[in-house]
Amino acid sequence: MLIYILKRLLIAVPLIFGVLTLTFFITRLAPGDPAAFFIQPGISPNVAEQIRAQYGLNDPVPVQYVKWLANVLQGDFGRSFSRAQQPVFDVIAQALPITVTIAGLTLVANFTIGILVGIISAVRQNSFLDRFLTVTFLFFYSMPEFWFALMMIILFALKFPLFPASGLNEIGAEGFGPVEFLLDRLWHLVLPLTVLSINGAAGIARYVRGSMLEVIRQDYIRTARAKGLPEKVVIFRHALRNALLPVITLMGSSLPFIFSGALFIEVIFAFPGMGRVTVDAIFSRDYPLIIASTFVAGSLVVLGNLFADVLYAVADPRIKL
Amino acid sequence: MSEISTKKVFAMCRVSACLMLALLALSSCNRRNGSQGVAVKGGGAMDSTLVIAMLGDADYLNPVLGSTVTSGNIIGLIYPSLLQSEFDTTTGLMNYMALEKKLREVTPGQGKKDPKGALAKSWKMSDDQRTITYILRSDAFWNDGKRVVSGDFKFSYQLYGNPVIASARQQYLAELIGADRGKVDFDKAILTPDDTTLVFRFYKPVPEHLALYHTSLTPLPAHQWKNVKPDEFRHSPLNLQPIGAGPYKLKSWQQQQEIVLASSRSSNLPKPGTIPLITFRVVPDYTVRLAQLQTGAVDVVEGIKPEDFTRLLKANRQIEIKTVGLRVYDYVGWSNIDQNEYHKSGKVRPHLLFGSARVRLALTQAIDREAIIDGYLKEYGVICNTDISPSLKWACNDRIVPHAFDPARATALLRAEGWLPGPDGILQKQGRKFSFVLYTNAGNARRNYASVIIQQNLRSIGIDCKLDVQEPNVFFESLRQRKLDAWLAGWSIGLEIDPLDVWGSDLNKSRFNFTGYQNPRIDALCELAKQKMEPTGARAYWLEYQEILHRDQPITFLYWMKETQGFSRRIEGEELNISGTFYNIDDWRLRPSANVAL
Repeated sequence: MLIYILKRLLIAVPLIFGVLTLTFFITRLAPGDPAAFFIQPGISPNVAEQIRAQYGLNDPVPVQYVKWLANVLQGDFGRSFSRAQQPVFDVIAQALPITVTIAGLTLVANFTIGILVGIISAVRQNSFLDRFLTVTFLFFYSMPEFWFALMMIILFALKFPLFPASGLNEIGAEGFGPVEFLLDRLWHLVLPLTVLSINGAAGIARYVRGSMLEVIRQDYIRTARAKGLPEKVVIFRHALRNALLPVITLMGSSLPFIFSGALFIEVIFAFPGMGRVTVDAIFSRDYPLIIASTFVAGSLVVLGNLFADVLYAVADPRIKL
Repeated sequence: MSEISTKKVFAMCRVSACLMLALLALSSCNRRNGSQGVAVKGGGAMDSTLVIAMLGDADYLNPVLGSTVTSGNIIGLIYPSLLQSEFDTTTGLMNYMALEKKLREVTPGQGKKDPKGALAKSWKMSDDQRTITYILRSDAFWNDGKRVVSGDFKFSYQLYGNPVIASARQQYLAELIGADRGKVDFDKAILTPDDTTLVFRFYKPVPEHLALYHTSLTPLPAHQWKNVKPDEFRHSPLNLQPIGAGPYKLKSWQQQQEIVLASSRSSNLPKPGTIPLITFRVVPDYTVRLAQLQTGAVDVVEGIKPEDFTRLLKANRQIEIKTVGLRVYDYVGWSNIDQNEYHKSGKVRPHLLFGSARVRLALTQAIDREAIIDGYLKEYGVICNTDISPSLKWACNDRIVPHAFDPARATALLRAEGWLPGPDGILQKQGRKFSFVLYTNAGNARRNYASVIIQQNLRSIGIDCKLDVQEPNVFFESLRQRKLDAWLAGWSIGLEIDPLDVWGSDLNKSRFNFTGYQNPRIDALCELAKQKMEPTGARAYWLEYQEILHRDQPITFLYWMKETQGFSRRIEGEELNISGTFYNIDDWRLRPSANVAL
C-alpha cells in the first residue's frame, strides 16, 4: 500500500503543476489589472507603472512564466500584491487553520447527522418520519448556501438574537480565560457550521439510507435476527458497518466541496480563512495569492481522493491497492 | 468486512474528532495580547469600546503606503498632522489651521475642529508664492518619547517621492523644486534649518490653499525608519508596529478581522482620545453589517442603503441615520467619439450615435432622473447638473436650470438630427438603428435600478437600450481602454476642483476622459482657474465651465447622493463633515449602555 501511496503522490506532482500553469495563464490573460486601484484622479499616472514594475508585470507573459517557474521550483511562490507584500504562504498560514477547523468540524457534523438520519430513514422506510426527513433534507439540500446563511443570520442573529452574525470572537474576547475563549469561538461557529453541515448531511443521509436498505435485506441480517439478537445490535453492529463502506469514500471526496462551501461562508460570516483570501485575491487580481490558493486547494483535492481510496482499502480487505 | 478493519475505521473516526478539537484550539491560538486585555466581557467591554464595521481591512498602517479607506481612517488617528483641516459648509471652502493661525476666518457655527491637533504653530507664505515656512511646536512627541522634528517631514517627503516605494501620494510633490524636470531636488525643495523650522520651496507660484494642502502629508518617525531600504519598505515588519503621536495608538491588528486602537495617554495632539478603545471590525457582507448594527454588535456602519432605513429604524430605536454630502454622483457616459476609429487611426470622429450634443441633450431629457431619485434615493438624492457639487457653494452655478424630463422634446430633437421611427418602432438614421448596450458594474443595486428605468425611458422614445452588467475590474478596464459606447458609472469628487483629468481635450493625457469629449474652452477655463491664487477668484471661470457642460451634455449627469451612515445613539459628540465620517472621532464619547434612551 505504501508503494501505491507513493506512486499516487508522484503522479500528483505533474497534475498539480499543470493546474498551477493553467491558473497562471488564465489569471494573466483575464481582463483586469493588479495596479488598477492606483489608477484614479489625484494619483500620479507614474504610480501604477511603478507598481507594475515592482510586481514584474511589464515583462511579456512567457517571460513572467519562466521567472515564476524558477521561483516556484525553489519553493518561492512570491509575495502578495494586495496584502502588504507578505509572502503568500504567510498569508495562507494565517488563514488555513481557520478554514481547516471549519471544514473539519463540518465534516464531522456532516457525517454524524447524515448517518443518523440515513439510518432512521432506512429502518423506518416509507413511514411518516422517513418521508418527513427526506423532504426536509431535500429542502435544505436544494437551498443555495449563501442564501441559507443569510436566512440563518436574519432568523437567529436578528429576530431571535441567539448567535452572533459574524466574526470569530466577541469584542473584548482577548480578556477571556482559555476555556471561555474557546466556548466563545464555538458559539461564533454555530451558525456557519449549521449552514455548511445541513447541506452536506442531506446528501450523505440519502447515501446511507440507500446503502442501509440494501444491506438490511441481506441473508446475514435475516440470520442475525433469527438468532434472536436485539434489533439495536442487528442494525448497529451487523448492518451499519457494512452499509458505511460506500459512505467512507465520500469522506475524501467531500473535502473539496466543503472547502468551496467555506468560500461563501467565510465572506458572509467575516471569517479570515482561505475562502476569503481566495475571493479577495481574485477581485484584486493578486496573482501570486491566487496561484498559492489554487495550489492549496488542488493539493487538498488530490490528497482527499487519495485518502478516500486508502480508507476504502483499510475498511474492506477485498480491495487490494 | 472483518471486525478488525471496522474497528480501525471507527478508531480513525475517534482520532479525527480529537484532531478537530485540537484544530479548534489551534485556530483560537492566534489571539494577541491576551494578558494585556483591558476589556471585560459583554456590556462592560462594549461600554469602553466603540465598534466600527468596515467593508475591508487596512492595507498598511503607514501613511506613505496606506491607500484604502480603512487605512486612511486609522492613520488619521495614529499619526500627527502638520495642520488641521476642515470643510466650511457655509462657503464650501477648505480651511487649514495651525495652532496660532488659520487660513480663513471661521464662520459662525463652523470651526468644530480643535487646532491643538496641529504640529505647526504657524506658517508664512512668501510674497512670490514660491516658499512656505512652517514653525513647528516643540512639545510634540512620538509614542516612543522622541520629539517630532522638522527632519521627520523632510525624511518622509523623500519616501513619498521615491519611485521604488511608489506612494500613491507622490502627486503632492508635483510643485516642489525639481518636479518640473522629473525629479524633486530635496536638498533645495525642503529645508530644515532647525528642529522647529520647515521650509518648502516650489518651482512656480502656488496658491496658498494648495501649498497648505500639498505640504501637509503625514510624517513618519525618521529615527524608526531610517535604516529601512526603499526596496524593503513595503514589506518591512515595522509596518505592523506603527509609532505615531496622535490621539490613539495601535493595540492589536488581527489581519482581515479587526484593528483595535487604544487611547494614547501621552498624546497632546490634541489630547488622548476620549473613548478608551476603538475597534475597526472587518465585515465584508452588507447584510451582516446591517444585522450587526441592528443587534448593537457594532456602533457605526457606513453606506446604508436608503431602502433599508425604515426597517432598520423600526427594528432598533437606538440607531440613527446621519447624512453627509454631496460628493458622489452617478452618470450615464456616452462615447462622444468613434472609439474604434480612434483606436485604429488615432483620428477623432464623432460617435455615430452619441457624437452630437443635440442627441446627448435629447437622451438626458428622455431620462426621468426624478423617478430614479423618488424610487430609490428619495430625500437622499439631488438632481445633478454638472460635476461641481452644490456643496462647493463658492463655485456652484445655481442659475443652471436642470434639463426637465420631456420625452416629446427629446423626440423632436432626435427628429431634427435625422432619427426617425423604423417599421419596428426603433429610431433609424441612414439605415442604422438607434440601438446600443448600456454597461454597468456588478454588485450595485442603485445602478441596476437606475439602468432599468433608463432602459424603459429610452424604449418609450424608440431607442433600443440593452443592459449588461460586468465584473467591476473588467468594467473599469473596458472604460479605461475606451471600449464602451455607453455606461452607467459614478465619480466621487475631490474638495479641490481640478477636472482636467476628466474633460481635458488631450486624450492621451486625460486618462479619465472616457467619453472623448473635447472642448478647448473647457481646457482654457481649467488652466485659468488654476492660475488664481485665491480659489474664489476663479468663480467666474467655474460658472462658465458649468454652463458649457450643461449645454454640451458630454454625459448625462444623473444625481448627487448623500452618504448615509448608521450610528448607535450611544455615541455622543459626533460631527459629520464632508471631509470624512470620522473627522472628529477623537472627541466622540460613549454613553454607558444602561443610559441609552430608547
